[in-house]
Amino acid sequence: MDKIKLTINGQVVEARKGMMVLEAAEAAGIYIPTLCSDPDLEPYAACRLCVVEIEGRRGLVTACTMPAADGMVVHTETPAVNKVRQTTVELLIADHPSDCLTCPKNQQCDLQKVAAYLGITQQRFRKTTRLLPVDTSNPFFDRDPNYCILCGKCVRICEEVLGVGAITLAFRGYASKVATFDDGPLLDSNCVSCGECVAHCPVGALAVKDAKPPTREVATTCPYCGVGCGIYLGIRNEQVIGVRGNREGVNKGSLCVKGRFGIAEFVHHPERLTTPLIRRNGELTEASWDEALDLVASKLAQYSPDEVAVVSSAKCTNEENYVIQKLARVVLGTNNVDHCARLCHASTVAGLGQSFGAGAMTNSINEIGDAGCILAIGTNTTSAHPVIGLQVVKAVRHGAKLIVANPRQIDLVRLADLWLSHKPGTDVALLMGMMRVIVDEGLLDSAFIEARCENFDAFKESLKSFDLDTVEGITGVAKDKIAEAARIYATNKPASILYAMGITQHSHGTDNVIATANLAMLTGNIGKPSTGVNPLRGQNNVQGACDLGALPDVYPGYQAVANPAIREKFEAAWGCSLNPSPGLTLTEIFEAACQRQIKAIYLVGENPVLSEPCAHHMEELKEMDFFVVQDLFLSETAQMADVVLPAASFAEKDGTFTNTERRVQRVRKAIEPVGDSRPDWWITCQIARRMGGKGFDFKHPSQIMDEITSVTPSYGGIAYRRLDNGGLQWPCPTQKHPGTPILHTRQFTRGKGQFIPLEYKPPMELPDSEYPLILTTGRSLYHFHTGTVTRKVKGLNILLGEGLVEINPGDASALGVADGEMVKVISRRGEVVAKAKVTEVSPLGVVFMTFHFAESPTNMLTNPALDPVAKIPELKVCAVRIERDGSSAGG
Amino acid sequence: MTFDEIRNQAISEWDALEHSDKPCIYIGTATCGRASGALTVLEVIKSELAKHSIEAIIIQVGCIGLCYAEPLVDIAKPNRPRICYGNVTPEIVPQLVEDYIVNDNPRPDLALGTLGDGSVDGIPRLFELPMLKPQVRIALRNCGLIDPQNINHYIARGGYSGLVRALGMSPEDVIEEVKKSGLRGRGGAGFATGRKWEFCRRAPGGEKYLICNADEGDPGAFMDRALLEGDPHTVLEGMVIGAYAIGATQGYIYCRAEYPLAIERLEIALKQMKEYGLLGDNILGSGFSFRMKIMQGAGAFVCGETSAMVASLEGKRGQPRSKYVHLAEHGLWDKPTLINNVETWGNVPVILHKGAEWYSSFGTETSKGTKTFALAGKIARTGLIEVPMGIPLRDIIYEIGGGIARGKRFKAVQTGGPSGGCLPASMLDLPVDYESLTQAGSIMGSGAMVVADEDTCMVDLARFFLAFTQAESCGKCVPCRLGTKQMLDILEDITNGKGKLEDIDLLIDLSEVIKSGSLCGLGQTAPNPVLTTIRYFRDEYEEHIKKHYCRAAVCKGLVTAPCSHLCPAGIDVPRHIRFIAEGRFGEAVAVIREKIPFPLVCGYVCLHFCETRCRRGELDETIGIRVLHRVAVEHDTGLWRQNSRIAPASGKRVAIIGSGPAGLTAAYYLAKLGHSVTVFEALPEPGGMMRIGIPDYRLPKDVLKAEIEEIKSVGVDIRTNIKVDSLDELLEQDYSAILVAVGTHRGQKLPIPGADLDGVLVNIPFLRDVNLGKEVKVGERVVVLGGGNVAFDCARVARRLGASEVHMACLESRDDMPAVSDEIEQGEEEGIVIHPARTFTRIVSDDGHISGVECLDVRSFEFDQEGRVRIDAIEGSEHILPADTVIFAIGQRPEIPAQFGLTTGRGNTIQVDPDTLATTREGVFAAGDAVIGTASVIEAVATGRQAAISIDKYLGGTGIIDEILAPPEGEIALVEEAEEEKRRPPIPTLPLEQRLSSFANVELGLSEEAAIEEAKRCLRCDLEEKE
Repeated sequence: MDKIKLTINGQVVEARKGMMVLEAAEAAGIYIPTLCSDPDLEPYAACRLCVVEIEGRRGLVTACTMPAADGMVVHTETPAVNKVRQTTVELLIADHPSDCLTCPKNQQCDLQKVAAYLGITQQRFRKTTRLLPVDTSNPFFDRDPNYCILCGKCVRICEEVLGVGAITLAFRGYASKVATFDDGPLLDSNCVSCGECVAHCPVGALAVKDAKPPTREVATTCPYCGVGCGIYLGIRNEQVIGVRGNREGVNKGSLCVKGRFGIAEFVHHPERLTTPLIRRNGELTEASWDEALDLVASKLAQYSPDEVAVVSSAKCTNEENYVIQKLARVVLGTNNVDHCARLCHASTVAGLGQSFGAGAMTNSINEIGDAGCILAIGTNTTSAHPVIGLQVVKAVRHGAKLIVANPRQIDLVRLADLWLSHKPGTDVALLMGMMRVIVDEGLLDSAFIEARCENFDAFKESLKSFDLDTVEGITGVAKDKIAEAARIYATNKPASILYAMGITQHSHGTDNVIATANLAMLTGNIGKPSTGVNPLRGQNNVQGACDLGALPDVYPGYQAVANPAIREKFEAAWGCSLNPSPGLTLTEIFEAACQRQIKAIYLVGENPVLSEPCAHHMEELKEMDFFVVQDLFLSETAQMADVVLPAASFAEKDGTFTNTERRVQRVRKAIEPVGDSRPDWWITCQIARRMGGKGFDFKHPSQIMDEITSVTPSYGGIAYRRLDNGGLQWPCPTQKHPGTPILHTRQFTRGKGQFIPLEYKPPMELPDSEYPLILTTGRSLYHFHTGTVTRKVKGLNILLGEGLVEINPGDASALGVADGEMVKVISRRGEVVAKAKVTEVSPLGVVFMTFHFAESPTNMLTNPALDPVAKIPELKVCAVRIERDGSSAGG
Repeated sequence: MTFDEIRNQAISEWDALEHSDKPCIYIGTATCGRASGALTVLEVIKSELAKHSIEAIIIQVGCIGLCYAEPLVDIAKPNRPRICYGNVTPEIVPQLVEDYIVNDNPRPDLALGTLGDGSVDGIPRLFELPMLKPQVRIALRNCGLIDPQNINHYIARGGYSGLVRALGMSPEDVIEEVKKSGLRGRGGAGFATGRKWEFCRRAPGGEKYLICNADEGDPGAFMDRALLEGDPHTVLEGMVIGAYAIGATQGYIYCRAEYPLAIERLEIALKQMKEYGLLGDNILGSGFSFRMKIMQGAGAFVCGETSAMVASLEGKRGQPRSKYVHLAEHGLWDKPTLINNVETWGNVPVILHKGAEWYSSFGTETSKGTKTFALAGKIARTGLIEVPMGIPLRDIIYEIGGGIARGKRFKAVQTGGPSGGCLPASMLDLPVDYESLTQAGSIMGSGAMVVADEDTCMVDLARFFLAFTQAESCGKCVPCRLGTKQMLDILEDITNGKGKLEDIDLLIDLSEVIKSGSLCGLGQTAPNPVLTTIRYFRDEYEEHIKKHYCRAAVCKGLVTAPCSHLCPAGIDVPRHIRFIAEGRFGEAVAVIREKIPFPLVCGYVCLHFCETRCRRGELDETIGIRVLHRVAVEHDTGLWRQNSRIAPASGKRVAIIGSGPAGLTAAYYLAKLGHSVTVFEALPEPGGMMRIGIPDYRLPKDVLKAEIEEIKSVGVDIRTNIKVDSLDELLEQDYSAILVAVGTHRGQKLPIPGADLDGVLVNIPFLRDVNLGKEVKVGERVVVLGGGNVAFDCARVARRLGASEVHMACLESRDDMPAVSDEIEQGEEEGIVIHPARTFTRIVSDDGHISGVECLDVRSFEFDQEGRVRIDAIEGSEHILPADTVIFAIGQRPEIPAQFGLTTGRGNTIQVDPDTLATTREGVFAAGDAVIGTASVIEAVATGRQAAISIDKYLGGTGIIDEILAPPEGEIALVEEAEEEKRRPPIPTLPLEQRLSSFANVELGLSEEAAIEEAKRCLRCDLEEKE
């Protein structure tokens, strides 16, 4: 019924209702030239090349803006049409530099293509030359307006898709051009350097600096955040030279600045570790693999299971995490294996596990754009998960209501219908207050609660202490705003909750998570498209690392170590007996190491020196008996190791990553390992085998996956051959199972959704007269985690080269701190010197720092107080004071 | 208050004003009035009234449209009609106040007309003036008459009665009424207003918006501003009616920020409407609610385009979007939106008040009602006018506008703003309606009407408009953004002398693509000025390209000084004049001699094209260049001979047939280039028309003779009384090249009854006989048929031959007579009576004796493409001009013997390659009138020069005939005192009584001193251009 038929050039073609004539023609394989139309963008009709004649209509119409209609008769190649096209392209050529051979877009230029299609061979017009200055300010790409054909794609993508609007069309007539707000350099604008404009530019106006075309491309998955963008690595001379978004990926081709511009440089960075290192006489010195591996194997063999721990990596593949935890359990006989999920989403795993039975994102990324309401709480989505941020922009553009709950005025606030600037650590109160309004005003979904949930009455009872006056007092958010947020969320269905570490990294992070789960259940916003509770995971494979059992209490697939039946299953599978007691968590491992209870650690791809709270105690790792670090670079942590094993990067190995929406995606080897580095799975297996471990004779990661599927029910249906077209979302129990985009559709994983009563608990450390400010931490768009790789990328350091202390102008003036001045941030645990950025983004009384920079290691300050359930530290709230930094006061 | 109560109150206020026992003074203080100093005038009025202790009511009104007469002040004294005074400067006010208000002398000399009942002796009724009589004022009905800031004035004159009626109707019926009226959008596109309303009414959606497009941006357009300033309520009432009809809840007036007074008055009007319950909730108790807001545009022309306007209102870049989804359905904020122009809204209340039938009684079948225009440019009476649709352009320009300013000739009228077309004189009878204008290549547009005269270069005009549309293009569509830029570049090249002939076709081609390939109206119409100027004035384009000649002498890239640019022979006039100003006459003559061998002949009879665009004329009066020539030559020192060279003999022989200015000029230069030149002259004396066409009283014979002697002195052999019948013979005689320069010596008669009667003479034989000294007799009463220079020569000769009454009758109107003004003036001084705009049907006789010429009055005439005249004669206007002698002076043609074997064309002229003057026969060239038709001495000389160049090249020479005869100029500079106002010296002429009794020279020339003074008036504009 949605199908229509039209005739194009005498050929009857079928189209979907709502398609434009251009789309209908394209779908039917009929080429209509265009320079300004783009499937990612709304029709624009500026280039006028797609003009066609339609019977019964006067004149020429642009196919990109003409809705296809049933019975329409279209002619795409008439003399009148061709005259306009020819002349238009001739005009463009006359106004375009004629240096195709030296243009970076040569042979990839749409103008060339169209000119060739139209057979343009003459030049009737006067050649015009513009001599506008080229904007080279951006470290990754140049903007040369002289090549611009004003198709507006860059402007439109920046506005329509990114929601950034860094550039616009300025001036009129022939002087029209793309410009920033004040026609200044792009670097001074609010451009986020994502390069989407560059990717969409049909000509050479926007071009990556020093770009060369690759000779081949390899489809793989971005190694940065948990979004798991599909990328193509461009390879030339067996080097990664560039990155292109994969339109088939979850990202639909979009990328952020790190994914697009931050990969090639770190892969081939001269500081990559290319050979094993062994500490001799206090110095790390080069060694052969055999030497190093034998040393590691022999040393690790010396410790009892309680004296040894393994730290796995959320950056490693599923296969690697599997063999690492297997090494710990099978070879070292310990469950002391954990990874950095402990620092980010342990509370999610715990909280959502209790509420729903599964601690992962309930819905899929591409549903977010269709939501009727988005509650983004504790997530700076556009910075930390930029491509998911695009979904939020899309939703808002399509009319969704956006509620941002964040102490800070993050970028999303610009798009929000409502901004709740609650005090850090008061999320439970805020959410409970909203739920109180929903219940009081009868906006709850009683039928859903009745049918699908349990323990509602007890929960309802717990709402009693959250009257709005109380909540206003706790959160600092005006009552009417809380009520409005409640109403918006409850009445604009489907509503989706997005959250990240603003929810999880608290001493009551699990409660925070449960509160979001309660809210979703209360309004029936779960188990349906574009709803759900959607924790946005930080690392590329933090989901997979958890899934594959790099956790002290569970085997792969969240199968409890403490459950004897499960243990027996694994003993059978692995052919050995297993340690029945759950191991230490990451935070506990390092604590135990400081106490000398843990004597040896095999640490893969982590940098706890910067990532752990109260990080200075990490110094004590130096004192450990035996410390092995396996990494790409000699990180701050690796520098303390006894043995450093050089790992291959994601570009140099095969495997899978599981992204935040539980999608298992392929990582494909694009180049040979740099130097003498080796894939982590190979290294781990080598250690295991040298220690006599059985079941580590893998020749290829696909063999590891085969083993994974046999022991991990939710991965039961995963196989490499099934992952070629976009991956599979777990649970995927069988080879026939299509994967699960939405969890809890008919029933919750645990059966009924459980309402859990909550009470408000303040953060463990609150400001006082000595430490009057709250320090909250987060991430910048331009760096990743502890900066191990992004700090190696020159351009990213130009965009953001140092840690900044964001401070409200009110606080700044009270302290006499000027913008750009170096300040000392002091907590009970340490002090850090960094540059102050005076900005209204930070609310009064709150300062903000990222933890990317070793020069200003924020986690020297943070509070190691743990969530009692998830053992996640309270990285988001601690008390600090700020002093002007006398040492740098010379200027 | 009910509306009836409001209305009654308003009417009594208005009545009280009209019947006030105090004088009422109305002063036009709209923007146009203010620009003319109306506010100062107002202050002076107040102080004068105070001085005389007179209590008067002063009301500031809007613009009545008589822009040419601003500032306008009306004075209404009790029991007297309101008298409108024009050009009321602050200096006039005290007299006016004293004379009329104090002493009751209405000063008819200052008054334009009376308004209202009653009359005043010596003052016409204002609306009977030619400017106002053809007008029908519907939208502008109140402008200039009421206080626009007083809603009661508006209501008293019928305002808001349309709304009251509409509210009593169903919205559908209101729409039906508007549909029936035939009202179409006055913003330019002319879409049927009622249908547009209907679409919007039917569009689904509760919230609808209504917009008044007050973003008037056309250069020269000010209709909307005047209406908003003069009568804002009519626009607002229209909008409320429209809102009711479509069910809109919110209205916007998108007004350009450059109209602060309009915005101020709109704000006042909105406030008053709210006070009276005409806006807001529950309007007049109808249950209908509507709000309005004024939004200011930032001056982007394209924001007048509806979708760009919507974008601008939404806070986005004002850029049009594709309208596959109509604004009527998805407009502002994606809601159904109706946009109409100011004037469209202004018509709506009247339609509802007086009914659709009344409204549709004006206008044409498809274009109903009236249209306002801003009449501007080179028109005598600029102004804001409102005319019924279908009125001919001619009526607007000649009746309302009073024709062309400063006695110049009409060239074109540009309608529809920057993207309208330029229509030539031949289109003057075009009815002004949507379809006719479109068919003619123009558009109605919003109503700018810019008149161009002969001083306007049509290429430059097209360039100007294109520069505007190019700069105002939003830049979105490639064809518009780059196409107009390309067109502009081409036009700039053409106006800079860098054009190529194929550029014209390229412009046409580009125009088509821009029109068909652009998204919005701006691009779709932007090429119109170029297309229409090419369509109607292609020859001007070709002149620019081929000859680097701008006949209006305005294109800066081509023209250093208009005088030398317009001289067909290219004399460096400014340098010539500077030498005269220094008293260096010999040097001045040398400058002329560098280009022509007839300096003194030209000093007497040149048609002085050089003077027509002299920049001094913009200040006070053009420089008398011709007369300066004459003075200089009369005081020649012979300096030029020092540098004059004759090349060694080339051994080539050239034959020239005809010894007129073209033949002798060519002969002179060819001889100087070393060729052996023989000139064959059929008549007994050399000189051609200079000798036998121009009578002695204009050009003394010895002057001509002396210059011919000079030509002979370089070796030219002139053989008179030899009529050449065959070119072959000459070629056999070893002439390597032949120049045919036989002139136009065959006079013409009209094939009308009586043309062959005795006593019917023909111009050329008549003049020739007289000039060669034959005895010629004319009767007592001579009628010369024709209006050109030759006709005047005939008439003035006839007068000198003793005719007591000489009359002239010609087809052209008085203003369009082809004769030069000197001839007309001197002819009239000599008692010649002119009968313009006549066509002749027969020559009447009595017993074989001529008794008169039967004429018809002519309304208009035009030449078709073949050059045939089509005359629109007034039926029944037959009348007879009595005569006993009739002389035909309606033109002359060349006589080209068939044996010459030359191809001839229109008017029997010889067809030549315009660049080389080569005929279709090898080695044979042609020049002078025989090629270009009857022209002037200097034009013939110019072709003679061209022929000399071509023939020399043909003979293997360089073709360089220019000489440097004058010494270099010293340090020269602009002279500031030259700008002090100073008029031309009068040129003494022979007293009339001496003129008619002889053929003595009429014009007596200037003294050396007077010439030096006159030369000092030269502004030296050639230097400005060089700087």
